Amino acid sequence: MKKLWGLAILSLLVFTVACGEQSSGTTESDGEWKPDGNIEIVAPGGAGGGWDTTARSVGKVLEDQEIVENDVAVVNKPGGGGAVGWSYINSTNSPENIFVSSPPLIFVPLNGQSDLSYEDFTPLSNMIADYGAFAVADDAKWNNLNELFEDMKADPSSVTVVGASSPGSMDHMQFVKVAKAAGVDIQKIKYVSAQDGGALTQILNGSADVYSTGVAETIEQVKAGKIKVLGVTSEERLEGEVLSTFETAKEQGIDTTFVNWRGFFGPKDMSPEAVAYYEEKFKEVSESHAFADIRSKYGWDEMYMDSEAYKEFLKEQTEELGSLLEELGLGK
Amino acid sequence: MGALDGLMQGFQVAFSWEGILFVLIGVVTGTLIGMMPGLGPISAIAIMIPVTYGMNPSSALVMMAGVYYGAVFGGSTSSILLNAPGISGTVATSFDGYPMAQRGEAGKALAVAAISSFIGGTVSVVLLMLFAPALASVAISFGPPEYFALMFLGLTAISSLSDGSTVKALISATLGFMAATIGIDAQTGTNRFTFGNPNLMEGIDFLVIALGLFALAEVCFLILNRKDKSLSKQSDIGNLKLSRDDFKEMKGPMTRQSFLGFLLGVLPGAGATIASFIGYITEKRITKKPEEFGKGSIKGLSAPETANNAATSGAFVPLLSLGIPGSGTTAVMLGAFLVMGIQPGPLLVQDRPDVFWGIIASMYIGNVFLLILNLPLIPYIAKILKISRPLLISLVIIFSLIGVYSISFSTFDLYLLLAFGLLGYLMRLFSFPAAPFILAFILGGMMEQALRQALTASGGSLLVLVEDPISVGLLAVSFLSFIVPFIRKKREDNKQNQDAA
Repeated sequence: MKKLWGLAILSLLVFTVACGEQSSGTTESDGEWKPDGNIEIVAPGGAGGGWDTTARSVGKVLEDQEIVENDVAVVNKPGGGGAVGWSYINSTNSPENIFVSSPPLIFVPLNGQSDLSYEDFTPLSNMIADYGAFAVADDAKWNNLNELFEDMKADPSSVTVVGASSPGSMDHMQFVKVAKAAGVDIQKIKYVSAQDGGALTQILNGSADVYSTGVAETIEQVKAGKIKVLGVTSEERLEGEVLSTFETAKEQGIDTTFVNWRGFFGPKDMSPEAVAYYEEKFKEVSESHAFADIRSKYGWDEMYMDSEAYKEFLKEQTEELGSLLEELGLGK
Repeated sequence: MGALDGLMQGFQVAFSWEGILFVLIGVVTGTLIGMMPGLGPISAIAIMIPVTYGMNPSSALVMMAGVYYGAVFGGSTSSILLNAPGISGTVATSFDGYPMAQRGEAGKALAVAAISSFIGGTVSVVLLMLFAPALASVAISFGPPEYFALMFLGLTAISSLSDGSTVKALISATLGFMAATIGIDAQTGTNRFTFGNPNLMEGIDFLVIALGLFALAEVCFLILNRKDKSLSKQSDIGNLKLSRDDFKEMKGPMTRQSFLGFLLGVLPGAGATIASFIGYITEKRITKKPEEFGKGSIKGLSAPETANNAATSGAFVPLLSLGIPGSGTTAVMLGAFLVMGIQPGPLLVQDRPDVFWGIIASMYIGNVFLLILNLPLIPYIAKILKISRPLLISLVIIFSLIGVYSISFSTFDLYLLLAFGLLGYLMRLFSFPAAPFILAFILGGMMEQALRQALTASGGSLLVLVEDPISVGLLAVSFLSFIVPFIRKKREDNKQNQDAA
């Protein structure tokens, strides 16, 4: 029995030590910047989520392809829709500690849930793009977005939209954005948030009508003939066995898109050398075959942006989404 | 391919030496991790994911499944011996398990838990085998109004979880409801009671409250009453052998809760926790001696233990046949599937029958392993209680802290844990029961979300709650279970009065 407890304590110690590593400090020599010790990528959400998957797959390519010499550790800092991870980066303020983010970095501050926004960090590189999909039960009366929006224009409250995120965040706003472009009164849209797989359940049993989610989440259910996808938010048709059958909103005459971008950020005051270092490394990852395989496995699109282009992009996104939230009365 | 062929293929996977080996590794790891207070199936599965890289998918998933139900199986140990439930599914286990251990019957309590778990696990696997594809429709039969009604039924347990003052139980439950509202509200995105602290935005983790109110409160109590001789009996392990009468006691709860627990497990979001609570109250309602519940009743221990293990197998129905993870644990499992390149969903049974049926078949073997491994180990495990009191107390504190930290990696949660420990001790001191608090916390959050989802969809009309026969039925049962004890009590009073006269 003593052995058992010993083993237990030992395994726990290993576990906690492995999770608690931290790096600090920088070294600089004639203009070239190199990280000192481990590079720590923070995923501001739990294991298995979108941020976690992106951080781990990029981290794996960085290490396996020997793009960086240092060890890359992925650390989960879940909480507050990302806010806990952001305040961690903000307080550690070390160029070896970077984090992965996506549109919530814009939504959460706009909703007033965090004081930190993208302006408090250094955008390093964007890596990938993912898109939203709007699905309904297979036996629903609508066959495309226009049919759905015709009904919603007549009576917006006749349709219930369900998604995993809370109002004012991704699943809600991607639908609002497309619905607005189609001419629906967005203030009257009924949106329900359901966690733990509840959103899909509600579509399958008819409690809700439209499922606003990421494209990857719909593939298996479409294949099985349980749901149908009315439209996706990408600029062009997606590639892939099932994905290529999804019509974009644009093809259906609704002139708008929504990108679920994912990229990396560092603390606010990073030296230009450090930024250049990460830009170069992430570009290498983005162009590698290993990462191309990962992209196709998860159905992501390539969308590399360097620090400057990224900053510009984020500014536009903030303005656009900010005015939408304002109109919904959710902006703070 | 018919289900029978698939099942045969599944047994081939499960009975190959590789299958058996990985099931064994899975269940052993699972029970060991599950036994530690604070570590439950989520941590167990997360720890195992990196181990499975590069393994054959069906062996890897058979092992992960083993870790999952192994952890639920082992989870009862810390509830019974230390009053430190590691997962929400074993909170109800501590209601009668811990009093039994305190009475000097720790060995017996562990044996009852192991056998009940085995029966619950095995019966439910048989049900899973026979009905998994067909049950997919049951899994989605619950919409928000039905969930609301189910949680409502669960809450009627509050009145039956109090031995003393009902008012105190209700106050405790109200505090639980209040704690459940902390965090970002999912239906509006508004911060509630977070006071600008990002650590509170995600709400308070269940484990923080359970370990605070149960484990740390108990530790405080033990430290402050260390001179009390009546507590020393606790280190007695007692006889492990169950008598024929004990089996007779267990028979009813085990049969009923295997089925009920499985059905509740099938519902996404309900799972082992609700199954164990509902199992506990239904048995308390049915039994002729409800006054024994909460004081170390075998029935009261057997019911939640059967139900939570049955629900664990049930949770595989939405996961495997719909691709819907019904809980945090199955969501991590889903992640593990995706890492292996396997997409659970309606097509899994056709595309990868080896995986689908392999997991189901392996669970049968896994449950047998768990019983064989656990029964002989009980005397050794129960010896934990022989560890000298100061050392044991420090161990419980350390494990509680590690368990909480390993979930959030946040020191803030450690302070919260201590705060709840203090609250739990104060509640005990003034004899407020902790069980209603935790029940209200678990069910209250889900009930609120379900109610608001239902009302949003209906445009605010309350009629939506009574439009469906399932929700009407559940609400009717709730009201009955609320009223019947009053009527019964009145009758008894009358009778007593008559006798007195």
